[in-house]
Order: sequence, then structure tokens, then C-alpha cells
Amino acid sequence: MMDKDKLRKADIFSGSLIFLTGLFIVSQSLKMPMKDSWGGVQNVWFVSPAIFPLFVGAIIMLLGGMLIRTAVKEVGIKALKTLSSFILSRDFLQFLKLEKNLRFYAVVFILFSFVFLFIPRVDFFLAAIEFLLVFITMFYLNDRTMLVKLFLFYAAQVLIFILFLITGLNTFFSVYANYPGDWLVLSYILSFAVYVYQLTKDNPEFKKKYRISLIIAVISPLLVGMIFKYLLLVPMPFEGMLVELLDLVWYM
Amino acid sequence: MVLLFERLGSFFDIVLGLATHPESLAILFGSVLLGIIFGAMPGLTSTLGVALLTALTYSMDTNLAMVCLLSIYVGGTYGGSYASILINIPGTAASAATALDGYPLACKGEGGRAIGLTTTASAIGTIISMLFVVSISPIISRFALQFTSFEFFLLAFFGILISGTLTSPDLVIKGWIAGFLGLFLACIGRDQLQFYPRFTYGFAELESGIEVVPVLIGAFGIPQIIGVLKDKVHIGKAKELQRILPEFGTVLKNIPAIVRSALIGVGIGSVPGIGEDIAGWVSYGTAKNTSKHPETFGKGELQGVIASETANNACVGGAMIPLLNLGIPGSPPAAMLLGALMLHGVTPGPMITFEHPTFILEVAAILLLASVAMWITGMVLAKQVVKVLKIPTQIFMPIIGMLCIIGSYSLGLNIFNLYLMLPVGIICYFLTEMGYPIAPLVIGVILGPMADENIRRALMVSQGSFMPVFTRPVSLILFLIIVWTIASQLPWYKRKIAQLKQSFFKKK
Repeated sequence: MMDKDKLRKADIFSGSLIFLTGLFIVSQSLKMPMKDSWGGVQNVWFVSPAIFPLFVGAIIMLLGGMLIRTAVKEVGIKALKTLSSFILSRDFLQFLKLEKNLRFYAVVFILFSFVFLFIPRVDFFLAAIEFLLVFITMFYLNDRTMLVKLFLFYAAQVLIFILFLITGLNTFFSVYANYPGDWLVLSYILSFAVYVYQLTKDNPEFKKKYRISLIIAVISPLLVGMIFKYLLLVPMPFEGMLVELLDLVWYM
Repeated sequence: MVLLFERLGSFFDIVLGLATHPESLAILFGSVLLGIIFGAMPGLTSTLGVALLTALTYSMDTNLAMVCLLSIYVGGTYGGSYASILINIPGTAASAATALDGYPLACKGEGGRAIGLTTTASAIGTIISMLFVVSISPIISRFALQFTSFEFFLLAFFGILISGTLTSPDLVIKGWIAGFLGLFLACIGRDQLQFYPRFTYGFAELESGIEVVPVLIGAFGIPQIIGVLKDKVHIGKAKELQRILPEFGTVLKNIPAIVRSALIGVGIGSVPGIGEDIAGWVSYGTAKNTSKHPETFGKGELQGVIASETANNACVGGAMIPLLNLGIPGSPPAAMLLGALMLHGVTPGPMITFEHPTFILEVAAILLLASVAMWITGMVLAKQVVKVLKIPTQIFMPIIGMLCIIGSYSLGLNIFNLYLMLPVGIICYFLTEMGYPIAPLVIGVILGPMADENIRRALMVSQGSFMPVFTRPVSLILFLIIVWTIASQLPWYKRKIAQLKQSFFKKK
């Protein structure tokens, strides 16, 4: 959590967002049937589906307004001006480049790409190996330069995958081979592994950490995935070439 | 009297049944151990443990699932003390107060003694809270049967307000905002009375409302992962452990402190949405204030460690009381348990004694066995469990991320759950950073349907009149408590009270 002064400044923004959320809820609720007929039933205001969201939205608006008032009262309008000039200054860019912020972008980017890009389209085991390999090495090596390099490498992989989907290459290659997305991610895993090896080979501590990361990144998804798939009988979000292979072995 | 003996008889039958069932025993000990490991690792909490196991226990029989989830809850709450005592980093928020005296004790070479005593005190605390679950539940259940829709609406509203008031680390308004945001999330989907689609915008996946468990996993798991990895948590070297088994005399000498702390834990646990962390701090504060030597607290006082650890474990049973009898979770892990129970087709509330007559006794029996299992595991495996403190957070956090994702997906086999879980998690991270508590939001999501359905049903019966709130005694009491809760946070009320106090003392 931030310190009190920063919190109050942030409260002006969060309070405004919350007020707008409340306003949005109220405006949407007003579109719901209040006294009209719905599903053949004539409504009265107190059974309307709008009544509860209206109440919730109004209270959120009120609380958001109160939060803005408290924050402005404590830090004053002057602080708001200082804050806006900070946002427009170069210092803000420096702030965005702070290591802890870089770490934040990396975590969010990895999570989003895994959930929205890879999980629905790539074999779960392969996607999870790629996810863990990138995630663990990026943070376990615990070095800013490494973090930036690995992040950029992974971002390039994600970009290529998006282009692969947008340009229709996925459909094009599926004529020649099953699961073209899986092959691409497999190549990502291998290329990432080679890239990290190249980066860490001269530093014994990094080398050791990389070895551990690699082992865990491969073993954990296999272990967890197999528990879910074969013991709990949960079908994977996308079953591709590795699941096919594991099925073959499991049901042999 | 006969009824009491009958109840005791069925309770011991259930205990015996569970204790002689190999599968239950294996799950009991396994989950307690897993819970201790989860609690011991800084960054992992018992709530997250319960959340992740909910997915794994989905296909299990309800009783076995409860054994698993309650055991990890009990183990996780206790496990936090390991990191607090040995490395001065609380394994969970619940054991933050333990670090104040636990670490100085470990520095003096008494880490093993402290762990032995906290293990015993935690087990006794859980058992005392279990006694409350058994004895108070029938009374609350019978009382709650008199509740009508107005009371249920006010109760849900009170739950959100009190949780927001007490868990907010910054302004109380923020706790209330979090609660109401949770209520808004609960509005999404078709409403339960007229099936009108609200805030669905044509998404078929939102028609049935948002899935509670993935939202809970996101709300508790994702901010934890981001927070730990962003802020580079450095873990120091753990202190060595010596003899763990506590001396009988020391335990006996501390029994009054243990009982007092357990009562505080049960009381705080039974308040909706208030977790083990608050119980630990309140109990620690009380122990310090009532001690003859308060100056020794913070320098390695055994009573300080006992106070916080007994209370946080007693909170587990306390949290079960409103959960089982009113359907209102007493703590964040209890909110997860509620989600898990719903998945298994068990709806906690006043009707639970009719729909599942032995359920409360089963929960109490599991609590008893879990506390015994926790004691045995703590005594036998403490030295081994401590080794998990050596695992770097950068390794287990990504694995937790993967478990959150596969766990959310497996509940309903729906990728949309993931699309919901991740943004909710990110929003919750920002909310946490800006001083908004997450517990009221979660309680809001859970209690939203109850509040919505009951207020409309109540108004339907009263033909749009709010008068029953004032004519029904329970409603009126709840209404007055809500008004007082809100008013007590307003500046003019605080000023008025201060003025009244001043004039009263002047007269004297």
C-alpha cells in the first residue's frame, strides 16, 4: 500500500472512477423495466430488477463523491496540480521505468498472454511449460538486465504468435500439419531455453538458477496437468499434440 | 438434556466414523500438512489454499471435500506461525502479531519451544471454537428460522458494512466501496425473480451470473502473485529448531491465557467477514494490556505468541458459526468454503439443520480431528516443514499462478472463467494498493444475490412498504445497528460524542 499522502492523491482518481462506475450502474439500471411489462408480467417498482442495482449504484456514487471530498480536503487542490504536472514531466517516465514497475508489467503481460492468447489456442501442457519457463526464469534470475532482455524476447514471441493468427497462417499450415500453433509454441520453448542458456552460460549462479527453472517449468505442468486430466478427469482447455501423445501413453 | 446427549452421541459417532475411515484420515493428514506448508510459505495464505483445493475437491464426495478444505484451513492458519517465528516474516497476515515475540524467542534459541507451545495452543483454540460451533449453532439456527426477507436483507447489508468497517486498512469508506462493488458484481446476470438480464450486454456466459469461485480465486490469488514478485520479498535464513514438544507445566500455566484468546478468536471469527488477522492482533493487544509485565511483550514473551496463535485458530470455528447458520461467511477463507459448499449443492443457512441434519456436527467433528492432526503433524514434522522456507518465492509464485488458472477453469470447464478471474484479480491488486480491502468485495459478491432477492421479496409481501423494518423487533435491532455503524464513522457524530464526553466529565 502507498503512503498516506500518495494515497490521498490517488484517492481523487480512484474516487472519480468509482463515482463514474456508480453513475454507469445507475444509468444502466434506469433502462431496466420499472413499471413496464416484462415477460408478460406487469411490473411494480418494488419487484423491478432495477431496484437493487439502482440502490447499489446510487450508494457507490455517494461513497465515491465522499472519497473525493475527503481526499481534496486533506491534500487540497494544489496537490492535484502538482500531481498533474508530475504526470506531464519527464520524472513520470522515469517512475514508469522503475524496476518494481517493470516487474509489474512483466507479471501482468505474462498472465494476460497465457490466459487470453495461449490457453484457448495451444495444447495446455505446452502453453503451461512456456508460461512457467518464461515466468520463473524472468524473476528467479533476479537481475534487472536479464528481466528486460527476457521480457523483450517473450514480447517478440507473443507478437509473432498474434501475427500468426491474424494473417491466417495458422489455418494455412493446418493443411500440412496438425496443431501448427503447438509447433510454434514448441519452437518458442526451445528458442527461449537456448536464449537463456546463452545469456547465463558465463555466470555460474545464473546457470544454476536457470537449470532449476527449466526442470521445474517442465515437471510442474506435467504433474499438475496429469492430475487434472487423468485423475480428476478434467478435459484440458485445449488438447493438442502433447495431450494426444499423453493419451496414447496413458490408455496404452 | 436427552437431546444434548443424543447430539453428543451422534457427534462422537461421526468422529469415530471419520477416524476409522482410512481415506478420510489420509486426506485429513495430507490436507493439514499441505495447509501448514501453505501457511508457512510467505505469500501463500490459507484462503488461497482453500481456493485451490476447491477445484481439486470438486469431484469428491461432499464430506471428503469438507475434510480436505477444513483441514487445509486449520493447517494454513496455524502454519503462518513458522515463518513468523523463524524468519520474522509472517507466513500469513493472521500470524503477523506472532512475529513480534516469536522471532525474539527464536533468536534466544527458543524457536522450538515457541513452535511447540503455539502448536498446542492452536490445537486447543480450534477445539474450543469447535465446542462453540456445536453448542451455539442450534440456538442461532432456531433463532434465524424466525427471520423473514427483511431480516435477511438487513443481515447481508450489515455483513458488508461491518466487514468494510473493520477490514479497511485506510479510510472506512473504502471498505464500504469495496463491499458495494462486490454487490454490483453480484447483480450481473439474470435476476432471480424475473430472469431479466442485467449488465450482460449479449454475453451468453454472463447470463447465469458471474461464477463466484473463479472470482474469489482471482481476488485472492492474483494480487498475491503480483505483490510478491513485484516487491522482491527477501527471505532471511531460518533459525534452528530445538526441542518442540512443550512441557506440560508450561501449557498448564498458560491455560487461562489460551482460553481467553480462544474466546476472543471465536467472537471475532463470528463477525461477518472479519478474518484471523484481526483476531490475532486483538488477542495480542488484550494479552499485553492484561499482563503484569507488559514491557516484556515484543522482546520474546511466550504469552504474546500464544495469544495471537490461539486466537487466529479459534477464529476458524468462530467463522463457521455465521457461515453454517446464516449463510454469511465469517472470514475470507470461510467465504471460499461457502463457494465450495455451493458447488457441492449444500446451501448453508437456517434450513441446513433440516436439509442436512448432521452437517454441522460433521463440520465440528472435522474441526476436532483437524486440530488433533495439526498437533501431531506439528510435533512430528515441524523440522521438515521448516525446509520449505528455503524455496524461493520466485519459483512457487508462478506455479501458484498456473494452479489458479487451471483451478478456475476446471470449475465449470469454462475458459470464460479465466477471462473473468484475471481482470478481477488485476482490479483487486490495484484496489489493495490503494488501501481498499478485498474481504468486503468478496463478501459482497457472495451476499449480493441474498440481499437482492430478499429486499424485493420483502417489498413484494409488504406491497412496497418499508414499515416492517420498524415493526419487526429483529429488523429494527439490525436497522439500528446498521445506522449506528454508519453514523459512528461520520465526523459530526464523532465530534458530538467527544463533546458529550467532555460535558459529562466536566459535570463530574
